[in-house]
Amino acid sequence: MTSFQSTIGDEEGIAEELAAGQREISIAEFFEKNKHMLGFDSGARGLVTAVKEAVDNALDATEEAAILPDIYVEIEEAGDYYRLVIEDNGPGITKAQLPKVFGKLLYGSRFHAREQSRGQQGIGISAAVLYSQLTSGQPAKITSRPKGQSRAQYFELIIDTDTNEPEIKAEKETAWDRPHGTRIELEMEANMRARAQLHDYIKHTAVVNPHARIELREPGLSEPLKFERATDELPAETSEIRPHPHGVELGALIKMLEATESYSVSGFLQEEFTRVGKKTADSIIDNFRDVHYGRELSWEPPAAHVDRDVEAAVEAAVANKGAEATAAFAASVAETVAGNARVTRSEVATIVNNAAETVEDDTGRTFGSTVRENAVEAAWGAITGVAGDAEDAEASEDGTPLVPQVYALIDEATSTRKDDETVQAMADAVARRLVGLDGDAFRVTHDDLERLVADAAAFVTEQHDVTFGETARGNVVEAFWSRARTVPDDPPKVNVVAADRDASADLLDAMRVTDILAPPTDCLAPITAELVEAGLRKEYEADFYAAATRDAKVHGGDPFIVEAGIAYGGAIPAEGSVEVLRFANRVPLVYQRGACAITDVLKSIGWRNYNLDQPGGSGLPNGPAVISVHVASTNVPFTSESKDALANVPAIEDEIELAVREAARELKSYLKRRRSMQQRREKQDVLGRILPEMADKVSEVTGRSRPNIDGALARIMNNVSIEREVNGETVTLHVENHSSTTERVEITDIVSVEPVDPSAGSVVEMDGEWFLQWKPEVSAGGDAELTYTVSEDAEFDVSVSGVETEKLTVNA
Amino acid sequence: MTDETQAREELIDLAAQFYDQFAAGQVPELRLPTRTKSNIEYDPESGVWKYGDRTSTRSANSVRGARKLLKAAYTIEFLADQLAEDRSSTLRELYYLSESWDNTEAQFGDQDESNDLVEDLEVVTGVTREDFHMRPEESGATLMGPLLLREQTRRGEREIHCQEDVGEGGYQIPNNPDMIEFLDHDIDFALAVETGGMRDRLIENGFDEAYNCLVTHLKGQPARATRRITKRIHDELGVPIVVFADGDPWSYRIYGSVAYGSIKSAHLSEYLATPQAQFIGIQPADIVEYDLPADPLSDSDINALESELDDPRFQTDYWEEQIELQLEIGKKSEQQSLAARGLDFVTDTYLPERLGEMGVL
Repeated sequence: MTSFQSTIGDEEGIAEELAAGQREISIAEFFEKNKHMLGFDSGARGLVTAVKEAVDNALDATEEAAILPDIYVEIEEAGDYYRLVIEDNGPGITKAQLPKVFGKLLYGSRFHAREQSRGQQGIGISAAVLYSQLTSGQPAKITSRPKGQSRAQYFELIIDTDTNEPEIKAEKETAWDRPHGTRIELEMEANMRARAQLHDYIKHTAVVNPHARIELREPGLSEPLKFERATDELPAETSEIRPHPHGVELGALIKMLEATESYSVSGFLQEEFTRVGKKTADSIIDNFRDVHYGRELSWEPPAAHVDRDVEAAVEAAVANKGAEATAAFAASVAETVAGNARVTRSEVATIVNNAAETVEDDTGRTFGSTVRENAVEAAWGAITGVAGDAEDAEASEDGTPLVPQVYALIDEATSTRKDDETVQAMADAVARRLVGLDGDAFRVTHDDLERLVADAAAFVTEQHDVTFGETARGNVVEAFWSRARTVPDDPPKVNVVAADRDASADLLDAMRVTDILAPPTDCLAPITAELVEAGLRKEYEADFYAAATRDAKVHGGDPFIVEAGIAYGGAIPAEGSVEVLRFANRVPLVYQRGACAITDVLKSIGWRNYNLDQPGGSGLPNGPAVISVHVASTNVPFTSESKDALANVPAIEDEIELAVREAARELKSYLKRRRSMQQRREKQDVLGRILPEMADKVSEVTGRSRPNIDGALARIMNNVSIEREVNGETVTLHVENHSSTTERVEITDIVSVEPVDPSAGSVVEMDGEWFLQWKPEVSAGGDAELTYTVSEDAEFDVSVSGVETEKLTVNA
Repeated sequence: MTDETQAREELIDLAAQFYDQFAAGQVPELRLPTRTKSNIEYDPESGVWKYGDRTSTRSANSVRGARKLLKAAYTIEFLADQLAEDRSSTLRELYYLSESWDNTEAQFGDQDESNDLVEDLEVVTGVTREDFHMRPEESGATLMGPLLLREQTRRGEREIHCQEDVGEGGYQIPNNPDMIEFLDHDIDFALAVETGGMRDRLIENGFDEAYNCLVTHLKGQPARATRRITKRIHDELGVPIVVFADGDPWSYRIYGSVAYGSIKSAHLSEYLATPQAQFIGIQPADIVEYDLPADPLSDSDINALESELDDPRFQTDYWEEQIELQLEIGKKSEQQSLAARGLDFVTDTYLPERLGEMGVL
């Protein structure tokens, strides 16, 4: 083969020449050239990203310290630059940590933690610092006052891009009026073209963080944009979880193996992973043994009619132990073997050891390891007929003694349509290939077994012109595998596994095939359906709100929860498509809407089913609605480092769809109710106009006075009507329900004199007025009469609740 | 008590009925016989088809129903006033007049609506629209034949002989034929002709004179006045009535409304229908027998024929046989197709032959 390197240049020493130009790149330098990867691709976007990173940090910090966040964001023009100030009331950062937090990329507390948090990599805020110093040349000015300290610490720092280390330009102690918190001031080249996105980000942050108070000042605003707190309830505290065995990848596993202090694989599994106890560790290790060592095939002990005798073989193999002890030993082995339906080589070894020890105890004779090994060899030869001192060497080479058992298994595993000849040929071929496998211990991995059977099948197919298909082969493999036993060998120690890539891969395979409980979800802090709704209520003046929180699910070992909320109607603009709010771990996603799995899912839903307008039957629906989707996870799969869009992970997409549909179902029934209410109102409007006119006309024609049409109106409109009748001292309220459902009406009559003998109900006196209250349940088409007496002329004031006002006609 | 006063009282009673419903806290409603094909029944006593027992309700329970009843109230007022003032108006005038009502909800959307409403009122009150002083704008058709009558016109009484005192156009039937008094006649039978062309052919050929025949022009689906006068001629003068129409399903319905009464005005069948009227042709059998030029039946023709087989009015052996024959041959012919045999064929051959077969001549 021609070497590519040798022909690349004619001159010698090119590699050396190239090497001269090769050097390590610091992460900071890398970022300098790849700003877009972190969301700093333009001045407009850079500003939004910087705000986002700082606010995310502030929220994470306050939440961790269980402080209700109070965040202040200010953007002002500073000559050719923009100055960005973000203040929070977080726990503050210690003097020692501060420079690194802000002045070193990839420095953070969360990257290694499996816990829901906004920030993950420890890039964000230091990237903002770097962007600011690159564009304006100004250092970041940071003030932080840790909780409990009387003075604040002030730093001016830049990042040394060669070393990715903070370089402190100024440092002093200072006074700060906040009792604790952090303030960062950045100057950067920027513009306000992304004002809409900035406002969206702040507003949406307020929606998903109803416990936060956020204030934004920027040059385009005449007065600050304030988002008040909607709840004093902090998000549930999350706890860090260890990785789930189903969620690690090989490289990570090897790293963990290298780093662990555990000695055994079992200890390693139980220590380093979530949801792994002794039992689960044992199942993983059994699977690991199967994958790593393979299983031993088991065989039936020789039947009575077979001329192979375990007892005789063992007896013959033992020398110099005395006739009595030898006989007892051989008998014991033979008896135990015969008591097993199937045995493996390892099991025979155990049987021999047990027998030897028993006989040793009984007779005082010592059965050393050589004797024992000989006995195992002899017994195994007698059982299988092919191993050890098998009598017929030629037959044993062909595997003939194995054929009957192999035949029985194959015959059972294949369909009845295989003729006897094929099965026989297959049994011969398989038996021949089994002989000598692992020194006749018949230890084989699943993969090797598959290959062996496939090879035999290919041979049979070719030689006998019959088919032995994939299904049949698979069945044969399973027949052997299910009868094979996990070997008793101890699994390799952790350091051995760590050093052996194949062994690590085997362990990973074993972890993946083992059934393990889903990870715990206390590492997640869903907003909860109530607060999703509260958040929407706070920022959107709508007629209707619905929210749904799904149960936690797992994707790649990371638990996740999806929540959805919908606001509809009211002041939400009706034109164009609905507004979509995307959130990941309580962070609004502002950019790359089209690339996001959330958007994809929303577009794929048939919104017409939910009574929303969807032109063409696909895509985002139109109408006055806001749909918000929140995905919380210990590891949110983003499409890129700038964390703008969720990747299309089917498990997450399914949950998004279910959550959105759940909320949408509520919307649908609301819209349906509203539509029928609207029709009722229209009908009421029209009839309320027509019927009096008709009554006027008929009274004109008949020359009589105008009839009272309220009763007719109530009936027509499926109304609940309440009418007062005062007859001398008796006051009666007639409640008539003309609707088709039972109505529970709450009627309060405020009377100026004391009412006597009220029919049921309760009376309360307050400041010389009597509050009479009834809660009659009036069935469809039914009525109720509420009566009381008053001794003198009284004034009444009735109020009714429990019935929609559209359905209510009060004439009392 | 005059007719006008009685009609007016019936209308006011209806308004009072609505009033009482309101006052009792009920939803005003109007119950009417269902005016569909499935709800007409043969009345053996009078020999005509009338509405059956099924009723439908116009109730103010729905927006539509309420609007209908509001319009009814306004129309009642209008008709009552008209009767009080002894004025009259046409159905079309009622429609336009509604535009002047102060309440836009009460105005009619189209003339069919006002026509239907007047028919509803007829049905409920049992008063004919003529007695409401409502008339159709298209006047009745014409008569030509040996009949002397006296008509009560607004400008005095007129004695008219329907052959000698009229031009070629014949005598114009007034909107309310009950204003006519028959004085004398020489009629052997009356022939009601569907189309104007055939009517003119018969007059030109002197058929009325030759056979002492009263030729009535139906002008398609006959107006009430035409049907009423036909009935009076039959009942009062005792002459047989023969209907001469095209050989297609629509023309059979013309015959049906003359003889049995129409579905929409079945409440007036006793007053309008002449069950003794006979159909002379064109019969489907004639198309075959005289080998008349014919057009194929269209889909709508076939549907109409099939619907006639379901129509209780046509469930006689004669009509079932004819309709089934027509469906079988799949053809229809117009009256004028007889001209294929010469202009005189109809008067010289076809009609005399058929009248003979029917026992009229």
